[in-house]
Amino acid sequence: MADENFLADDFVRQLMSVGEVDLMVGLPTHNSESSVGEVIASIDKAFQEKYKRERVVIVGVDGGSTDGTCDVIQKADIVAHQNSRGITSLRTVHRIMTKYDSVPVPGIALRTLLATADLLRAKACAIISPNSVNVTPEWVENLLEPIYRQGLDFVAPIYSRHKYDGLLARILLYPMTRATLGSRVYELQSDEFAFSGKLASYCLNQEVWHNEAIRDAPQTWMAITAICNDFKYGQSFLGPKVRPANVPAPDLVTVVRQVVSALFWCLESESSVWIDKPTAALAASTSGVNGHHWLEGSDQANPTRGWEMFRTGITELTPVLQSIVTKDTLSEIEKTATLEVPTFHIPDELWVKALYEFAASYHWDVLSRDHVVQALVPLYRGKISSYLIRHQDSSFEQIDAHAEALCQEFEKQRPYLIERWKVKS
Amino acid sequence: MKATILQGLQQAYDNLVHMVAEFLPRFLVMLIIVAVGLLVAALLRYLLRWILHLTRLDRFSEEAGATRVLRKAALPSVVELLSGLLFWLVWLGFILLGISVLHISELSEQISRLFQFLPQVAVAILILFAGLVAANFFSRAALLAAVNAGSRSPSVLSWFVRFVIWIFAISMALEQIGLAKQTVVAAFTAIFGAAMMALAIAFGLGGRHLARQWVERYIGDKKKPVRPEADEPSPL
Repeated sequence: MADENFLADDFVRQLMSVGEVDLMVGLPTHNSESSVGEVIASIDKAFQEKYKRERVVIVGVDGGSTDGTCDVIQKADIVAHQNSRGITSLRTVHRIMTKYDSVPVPGIALRTLLATADLLRAKACAIISPNSVNVTPEWVENLLEPIYRQGLDFVAPIYSRHKYDGLLARILLYPMTRATLGSRVYELQSDEFAFSGKLASYCLNQEVWHNEAIRDAPQTWMAITAICNDFKYGQSFLGPKVRPANVPAPDLVTVVRQVVSALFWCLESESSVWIDKPTAALAASTSGVNGHHWLEGSDQANPTRGWEMFRTGITELTPVLQSIVTKDTLSEIEKTATLEVPTFHIPDELWVKALYEFAASYHWDVLSRDHVVQALVPLYRGKISSYLIRHQDSSFEQIDAHAEALCQEFEKQRPYLIERWKVKS
Repeated sequence: MKATILQGLQQAYDNLVHMVAEFLPRFLVMLIIVAVGLLVAALLRYLLRWILHLTRLDRFSEEAGATRVLRKAALPSVVELLSGLLFWLVWLGFILLGISVLHISELSEQISRLFQFLPQVAVAILILFAGLVAANFFSRAALLAAVNAGSRSPSVLSWFVRFVIWIFAISMALEQIGLAKQTVVAAFTAIFGAAMMALAIAFGLGGRHLARQWVERYIGDKKKPVRPEADEPSPL
């Protein structure tokens, strides 16, 4: 039985009044007043048009909103029903919500939604960010359908991206998980994803919820858990990802800390799955769409600031880096830090080697684990700057080719990671 | 007169010979005790090290995180630390035993006081150790945070944190062993106060714009769009 003790009594009463459901959509909200109404309208429309006979529920899980988010969630159904035309759902589209804390914690929000799915015996669940301003009913359908009709357990999204968006996935998360776990899931850290009731129950019963790495980036953990534990997984194309203008872009340092910590932690906890098996033996087929989907647009990004922060970071953090990477790697990194912007370049070989050494150092606890991950940030900034310089005038095909070459470099150096992982140096 | 002087000298010489004759065997006994103590201490260290390796204490300490803490403080492993401690305790015991053989009453009193003082010294050493570990950890945390925030002087900030923790730990340790309590407290207050005032003046003069930005960010208009780090592409 799932651990539902952390759910508020009032929320449990709401769940009891809903009963069992077939489909569930969760909204982890925090000050989302301006956009959550539109998102709920789209979900509602998807339920009204595509899932007329299914028992459905929309669950809001709020982390300390100080605006009218909660009111909007509770009243949004009125607007949605007033605008509906023709044959609509034969069942009530339930809307329930709960508040869990005074600050948003992704791990608590996801755990609450997993417990909800478990208690309601939902067959398919989707999580949608209330901050995505261009959610359409198709998003809901594309996320739920592979779970509900095709029997998958986890569905990750694929978005159309501008060429400088989502770089953490492109140069780190995707190639590293592809090389280590054999997974071809591109967006491991995303605001939208879907999962089966079976996977929800499995994840809910894992003893990870008090782990800091998982509390901050539970999506990555859930995706890797599905990949490593014989669940069926796939990807679904959603379209472009657009954030509201008044919502700040995620802070680079915070995101890198959270996502890389979760990735390294997962690599360690699942090491028995990947460490002694070749990538080819691990590679499972990934259902659904694959590859990059590009968005045309005037992409402007200046590599100078990142390069400056890389150079300062490497100089200042030398004593810290000495404990994390090998002498050769540090010397190569220092050499690249002497290059000026037009010629500045961090080769893929060096990036991959350094990253693998960071992962091994995290595994061996050479320093506080959070410090190991934080020390990676200047190097990541450097690699981003190098990427921006290299691809300023590149076509999408050239960027795709480079992304594939980078993945192959990660795969080529996989034995080096395993060697350093097994033997402390 | 001459006979008296000669008699005095003869007596002094006799006393010296007597003292040396009395002291030398004791001194030799002391040296033998110290040497035997060294051998016994070394043997015990070797034995303890062997037993601890047999019980896989290193592995246990690695899993418990103790090794990490010691490594951060640039100290040897738990096995080396315990066996080294045993060596010094045993040898120190033999040295003190040897000194007591000399029958020097003042020295014996001092040794007795030293034994009474040892627990306080041990606590003071523990405080210093904790201070060292904390200083390393927090100064590194400050360095990483400052570097990643694009601060102009991350090393200065890191050294400041290390310095403050050191001062704090040293003053606590000195207070523990009761050394010049009032002086230590006064010195700590003066140093800490001066450092804080210097920081406040430096921030007030040099960081007016930064202070204004912070105030605007935290108590200004929260609905105003927040601009991400200049020219930095979104990681997600």
